[in-house]
Amino acid sequence: MKKRTIILYWILLFVPTCIIGISAFYMIRHEQERINQEAVSSAKVRARTMADAISATVETVEDAFIESLNAIPNPLVYKTLLDWVDANPLVRNVFVWDKEKGLQYPLAGATATSEENRFIVRYEALFSGRISWQAAGSSRNEAFGSSSSDKELPGRNFSSLVQETRKFKSGRQALKDLAQGRYESEGKNLLVEAVTSVGEGGWIPWFEENRLHILGWFQKRPDSAVYGIELETMTLLSRIIADFPKEVSDGIVYAIVDGKGEILHQIGNGMIQTGTPSDQFVSLAPFLPHWQINVYMSNGMLPIESEKGFLILASLLLVIFLASIILGGLLLTRQAQRNMIDAMQKTSFVSSVSHELKTPLTSIRMYAELLEEGRIKDTEKMRRYLKVIVAESQRLTRLVNNVLDFSRLEQGRKTYHKELFNLAEYVRTILQAHRLRIREAGMNLIDEVPDEIISVELDRDGIEQVLLNLIDNALKYVTEGGELLITLKRKDKHCEISVMDRGSGIPPAHRKKIFDRFHRVDNSLTSIRPGSGLGLSISKKIMLDLGGDILYEPRPGGGSCFIVIVPCASTETILQNPDQL
Amino acid sequence: MKNLKFTERTNLNSILFIFLGCLCLLFCCDIPLSMAGIDSLVKCRVETDRRLLPADETQNIIVKVTLDALKPAETTSRPAVNLAIVLDRSGSMTGQKLEKAKKAAIEALRRLGKQDIFSVIIYDHNVETIVPAQPAHNTEWIEAKIRQIQAGGNTALFGGVSQGASEIRKNIGGEYVHRIILLSDGIANVGPSTPEDLGRLGAALIKEAISVTTVGVGTDYNEDLMARLSQNSDGNSYFVESSRDLPRIFAAELGDVLNVVAKKVHVIIECPEGITPVKIIGRDGRIKGRSVELSMNQLYGGQEKYALVEIQLRGGKNGQEMEIAKARVSYDNPFTLKRETASGLVRAQFSDDFKKIEKSTNVEVKREYELNRNALEQERAIGFSDKGQIPSAVQTLKSSAEKLKDFGMKYDDREVLDEAAEMEAQAERLEAEGMTQKSRKELRTKSYQIKNQQRTK
Repeated sequence: MKKRTIILYWILLFVPTCIIGISAFYMIRHEQERINQEAVSSAKVRARTMADAISATVETVEDAFIESLNAIPNPLVYKTLLDWVDANPLVRNVFVWDKEKGLQYPLAGATATSEENRFIVRYEALFSGRISWQAAGSSRNEAFGSSSSDKELPGRNFSSLVQETRKFKSGRQALKDLAQGRYESEGKNLLVEAVTSVGEGGWIPWFEENRLHILGWFQKRPDSAVYGIELETMTLLSRIIADFPKEVSDGIVYAIVDGKGEILHQIGNGMIQTGTPSDQFVSLAPFLPHWQINVYMSNGMLPIESEKGFLILASLLLVIFLASIILGGLLLTRQAQRNMIDAMQKTSFVSSVSHELKTPLTSIRMYAELLEEGRIKDTEKMRRYLKVIVAESQRLTRLVNNVLDFSRLEQGRKTYHKELFNLAEYVRTILQAHRLRIREAGMNLIDEVPDEIISVELDRDGIEQVLLNLIDNALKYVTEGGELLITLKRKDKHCEISVMDRGSGIPPAHRKKIFDRFHRVDNSLTSIRPGSGLGLSISKKIMLDLGGDILYEPRPGGGSCFIVIVPCASTETILQNPDQL
Repeated sequence: MKNLKFTERTNLNSILFIFLGCLCLLFCCDIPLSMAGIDSLVKCRVETDRRLLPADETQNIIVKVTLDALKPAETTSRPAVNLAIVLDRSGSMTGQKLEKAKKAAIEALRRLGKQDIFSVIIYDHNVETIVPAQPAHNTEWIEAKIRQIQAGGNTALFGGVSQGASEIRKNIGGEYVHRIILLSDGIANVGPSTPEDLGRLGAALIKEAISVTTVGVGTDYNEDLMARLSQNSDGNSYFVESSRDLPRIFAAELGDVLNVVAKKVHVIIECPEGITPVKIIGRDGRIKGRSVELSMNQLYGGQEKYALVEIQLRGGKNGQEMEIAKARVSYDNPFTLKRETASGLVRAQFSDDFKKIEKSTNVEVKREYELNRNALEQERAIGFSDKGQIPSAVQTLKSSAEKLKDFGMKYDDREVLDEAAEMEAQAERLEAEGMTQKSRKELRTKSYQIKNQQRTK
């Protein structure tokens, strides 16, 4: 019944705790996911901002170059373009192409530099006239359209150029200045005149061996020559890198990646290898087709705290919370169990004591009634009856004393009268007084008490009570008789009184509990040996109060051995009261 | 007596006249003399490999245009330097290498003056500017910053150089000598990392008058990439096998940078009608019809830089003399802040006396030609060995060494003979061990140093 109640309480505690725990864990995980999502989306927003800045830079450069190309007066086309290629870091190559005559500059062969020869080969399809300038743009549109949906498509054509007044950021301004020819070239400013004419131009992203090249062209009139420049993509990239943000939040890596998946530049801690899958990406098309900004947040390359920090911390708190609930429940259960055992022991104690009181009382009453009736005339018989009455009364007194002592000890009200005396002598006296009783009980008392003076400062009654309790226990439980060996030995700072019998001993399961109050090896009411389960508990308490102890150990060769440890009196005490010994 | 008096007066007059004349001369010369320290610091010489050429015969000859950069007077204050040091701190730099590199950077800083600009950029997979461009006088703070550098991860070389250029650009408007010193010991693995890409970056930087000097440490870096970057930006290139040499290399490099006497050097060589330039040996340049255009970023005081051009011509009649080539050099003088020019001219006479022709050989020109040819052959050998054709590479080196040896023996040239011996040793090593990383780096760097006429090697 009781166990069932405990189980029920446990279910009532455990099930809601589990429900709270599981739901809290799910909520925490969800929250962590939300935090991660938020981090991912904010990283994506940041990447988008970076991409927009790069696109705006490239767009600015391209627009400004087209403006500059448009502004070159016809007679100065060659000279201006050659000056650009010599002095403008953004210009890799220049060209002049005529529909009828083909490529006018550079001319393949020994007069061109190796770079120019490669340039001619690179754009052979355009220079040979196989692809028209406008179509190159639109054909690129199809090729790169898939990478971007929200932006103007690449290969953009600038028909009817409009002069725009825009405000550019400082980093971008430098590039724009370069594109507009505002760089130092032998002291000359090459932007000669304002845009007056209206022509057509555009930008063609071109891939050779998976490498991005960007060609800008301009044609003043439909029948005139096409001229233009090839952008130096490395300069562009170098400038973009220098303007790229330097600080990012921990655990996030942003990288500019080209069409081959190779990392062109990265910021943020964490090493990424080419081919590491990214968590997010933002395309840099149409201005830099196939290039993109990748965001890396996981895949083991980042420290785990950054992505699961909240989850770990919150889970830890949750575990502590649940553990404290369970632990609290456990402690309460244990306390309840202890109280239950206590109550059971008290009930059993009351029954035992009642039983104990009843047995001697019955004998006393029976013999007293016999004597009262006056039918017993034999004086010998009368004396025997009176002896029984006296013995039973003494037993009764001891029992009542024990109960009283127990209650005093429990309440801490027992007082001790400590005095200095010779323990050996005192033990001998007690044994002498009880020798007859022991013999009558069928046991043979052997005492090994030395003749020397063993001075102790103790309560005499306390020691006697403890010794008698142990002797009574031996008489009570050792039914088969045999020897009762009592020794007194002096150790370093204490002495030991051992009470040894040859009975059945204490079963190992009970050895630790025999000094607990109410504990009895056989606790049933039908037990053949009467007892309250208080004797050893009281003895232990008394000895502890007197600064000693009682230990139990099985006696070698069978039987029990109780060792009473008694502290010896200090030399100072002996010197102060030499006459008391 | 009258006569005597007259004579005395004449003497007195003449003394006065001579004195006044001297004073006048001294006065007039005073200005140009004081300016001579910083004016016209570059002299241009044009020579051919032979003073006499065979008559009536189509032939290829070598024209050498030499730019002699004079040392300015000791008292002249040098042009300010805008220096960015870009240090590799990737994992492989851990230990001695990084420590020596830091020491070298600090020593470089100490050589600069208050007027100079200094910045330090470090890179692993990330690029960090630890000392933004600033005047080089706050040395204690800068040194502390440099000492804090610790080794990290990968190698973002392109990003490092880009950031270095960005720091240089903060003072690009000033009249500084701009220079990036890049130090790396590993293969660039973040960002563009082919010699082609870095070469393009170098070519773009030189247009802004920024030169990149590359210092490769150990045997694991990509020498092609480093050589191309410095070649295209007209910087120096060094191969340092042991990090112990780093402070010495930095000091030598700074010696060059602090000694710049001409910037944005542009050379135009023009030939008269009938003479065509065929190729430029060892340098990048442009042949436009009968003219050749070349650029060099900087010339250092006391240095001689040259360009070799092979031209083709039809010999004139015996005894005829004609102009072969004319060279015009324009450059920015960092002292006067003006663009200045120098020019030179070479004429040659035709002869049918082969002995005389042979005797007229200009050993200097021939020797530079031979050394440059040898440098190109070294590069060809590297190309062969890269393709796994070791026997061809060995053959190339050996035959080039043979030619050098012939030349050395003929003209009793110790330097060329030493070079030939070294080439032979290289060829033998190559044959025995294959191309080791160290040999490849030695060949590549040396060939570059010859072509660029680098002083410290």
